[in-house]
Amino acid sequence: MRVTKGVQLVAGTALLALAVAACGGSAGTPQQGATGSGEQPVRMELGEPQKLFYPGDTTETEGSEVLNAVFAPLVKYDDAKKAVEEVAQSITTTDNKVWTIKLKPGYTWHNGEPLIAQNYVDAWNYAANQENKQSASYFFGRVDGYKDVSPGEGKTPTSKTMKGLKVVDDSTFEVTLAAPFSQFKTMLGYTSFYPLPKAAFDASGKVTDAYAAKPIGQGQFQFDKPYAKGTDQTIDLTRYDKYIGAKPSFSKLQFKLYTQSEVAYNDLRANNLDIQDQLPATAIATAKTDLGDRYIDQPDAGIGYISFPLKYNKDYENVKIREAISMAIDRKTIADTVFSGTRVPADDFINPAIAGYRQGACAVCTYDPTKAKELYTAANGPKKLEIGYNNDGGHKEWIEAVAINLRSSLGIEVTVKPFEKFAAILDDLAAKKYGGMFRMGWAIDYPSAENYLAPIFSTGAIETGSNYSGYSNPEFDELIAKGDSAKTEEESLKFYQQASDILIKDLPYIPVYFYRVNAGYSTSVKGVKIDLQNHVVWESVQKS
Amino acid sequence: MGRYVIRRLLQAIPVALGATLLIFALVFALPGDPITALAGEKRMDPAVADALREQYHLNDPLLLQYWYYITGLLQGDLGTTFSRVPVSQLLVGKFQVTINLAFTALILEGVIGIGLGLWAALRKGKATDTAILAVTLLLISVPVLVTGFVLQLVLGVQLKKSLGIDFFPVAGAFEGWRSYLLPGFVLAGTSIAYLTRLTRTSLVETLRADYIRTATAKGLTRRRVIGRHALRNALIPLVTYLGADLGTLMGGAIITESIFNLNGIGQQLAQSVYLREGPVVVGIVTFLVMVYIVANLIVDLLYAVLDPRIRYE
Repeated sequence: MRVTKGVQLVAGTALLALAVAACGGSAGTPQQGATGSGEQPVRMELGEPQKLFYPGDTTETEGSEVLNAVFAPLVKYDDAKKAVEEVAQSITTTDNKVWTIKLKPGYTWHNGEPLIAQNYVDAWNYAANQENKQSASYFFGRVDGYKDVSPGEGKTPTSKTMKGLKVVDDSTFEVTLAAPFSQFKTMLGYTSFYPLPKAAFDASGKVTDAYAAKPIGQGQFQFDKPYAKGTDQTIDLTRYDKYIGAKPSFSKLQFKLYTQSEVAYNDLRANNLDIQDQLPATAIATAKTDLGDRYIDQPDAGIGYISFPLKYNKDYENVKIREAISMAIDRKTIADTVFSGTRVPADDFINPAIAGYRQGACAVCTYDPTKAKELYTAANGPKKLEIGYNNDGGHKEWIEAVAINLRSSLGIEVTVKPFEKFAAILDDLAAKKYGGMFRMGWAIDYPSAENYLAPIFSTGAIETGSNYSGYSNPEFDELIAKGDSAKTEEESLKFYQQASDILIKDLPYIPVYFYRVNAGYSTSVKGVKIDLQNHVVWESVQKS
Repeated sequence: MGRYVIRRLLQAIPVALGATLLIFALVFALPGDPITALAGEKRMDPAVADALREQYHLNDPLLLQYWYYITGLLQGDLGTTFSRVPVSQLLVGKFQVTINLAFTALILEGVIGIGLGLWAALRKGKATDTAILAVTLLLISVPVLVTGFVLQLVLGVQLKKSLGIDFFPVAGAFEGWRSYLLPGFVLAGTSIAYLTRLTRTSLVETLRADYIRTATAKGLTRRRVIGRHALRNALIPLVTYLGADLGTLMGGAIITESIFNLNGIGQQLAQSVYLREGPVVVGIVTFLVMVYIVANLIVDLLYAVLDPRIRYE
């Protein structure tokens, strides 16, 4: 058949158009105006959540970012980092042991049911019970009766409920703690303390996978459809219009799942993505010019440490050796050069983003190679040191930098040892296959000075918490207990600071740097704010 | 021919079974406790960790664990990941993406590779030939990581920002077939170069053969000599190469998939090996083994189509 060029061209174009239309129809995920209402969602970067959305089983950042949009917490944190009531009307106590929590009227679940006190008690009892295998169970360890639902490895719970939780009426419940804890109200903003609706449980009282794939919350946004973990590339949410708290100004929110933050950054620059809450390290140097005032750089509540294996290795027993090592590290150069300014040198065990931080509190955290060398030689420190790190989190560069510091300041041999995962360091320490220093990081669960102390350094945390160094000082434990039972915030903070002073004296860990949040947003949105828990404040975000 | 195909497929069964055991044992041998690793840098409650280990049979010896897996497999249960997602659901979704990507790459590879090779062979020794050889050399020597990011930045980000042309998406599989063009090309990059060179050599050699001179002497048109006689004979090594490459394209797309944020099996495999999710790794690898076997079978059958002298009994 003979066809003229013109006809060929037309036919080709028609075919191409057909193909485009066919593909557009079959592509499963709605995108940019392909959604029914035609409104473009606000799109935020997310790594794949580790699990489905069980509030009691979500302890990682990605899952809790989603839950934060779907649930409203009992308390939020104001600009002074103080807990203020959100869903709660009031949270009161006279002795820091019995807490009465009263809910504001008018909150409803996304399925229309009213939010009641029983929903909290159900959710907390569920999360604490070891048979339910919820990774945040330890958050309820302070509630009276926790041992009945979580007696420990190999034992069977004797009860399904904790005796410390009591419903007074539909809008009030009472929490009795095993021991006084002044920071309890501050804790309540964390993901694990969200309630669960009746619809979450099946007949046998288990939270269903169907619920966890499409959680019904009582917060700003509701799920459009169940999330197919592993296959879905987006999580689409719609504003819940019956929400009585501060409502966001836009109606569609979309989380886009990325495995590489470099790729997400390219999408951000092409305006295919609106908010990225942690820019890749490679982009930091140019982000300011790329994004201008759409670049956010603010303090983050995390800390990076070098830890001593006190329980496992006697080499580090002399505190003078630990002080010498601390003073041999040039924190400023590491923060500015290795991390291109995305970290700041640490000078306290409490982070500057949290009330209780004292600038320059840790005197031995200042770089002083001469004094370090003197101390180290006088204390007859070991001629050979090792630093371990997990090589899955971008720690190699700064650990190498620390090693170079130690070599040149102390004149000793220093080797660095990579481990595939952080857990592998702990395994090898316990098995006595490794006895060197190791890196460690801490991101807070709730914004309280106490969270930088007790879970990492108390004697109790050796068994159940994150006290990996095995440090134990009764004086420290006692000050923490005093802070926990103090009558006022100011008083408890005083005790926590004294406890922090003991850490500075004993140096079980060396604080090296404080993290910073480096985020960015596209030209389609404005007013992006990131809170202390690294969650986006959705009510302040606006489309432009 | 039918019996030959059935025999080949039956041979695949022990190979696939052997692959599952081998991969299962390899994942088992990886160091570290997958359950404590799940908790990251905060310690999981020992009671919870133990209950999880019990649930996933991690306290049992290798052969018992394998037995649980195989008995489940025979009942159509591929197991679950450590986050309770059924492996079957995971594989169906991810393979869709990877198959789209692999076939886009294969088509691009076939069309561009054979096209360029043909062009170079017909202009042997001329400037075009030299230019094509130089370009393929460049494609072979630049790593995928570089071509991927450069093309993404230039065609994805800069083209949209400076000219407003939004044809190549930066990342993700949201735009139907367009989403696969750029990643498909990047993935096929080195293969295109090899195929070009292979086509050129193969065709140049065939063109020197006696029967080509005979065909030309008979007065056949040049198009018929090249298309019907030379190219058809030159295709045999190319088909072998393309067939073997399909498996590589499917299994080796980890870098491309992560650059373009395509949610395929490459990324899943890397992640699952890291998390020691035995059932997922075994499922993916076994499927890839099957793809290799089937692709090889198809290649063998294609020989008979291209060269009538080859017969299968």
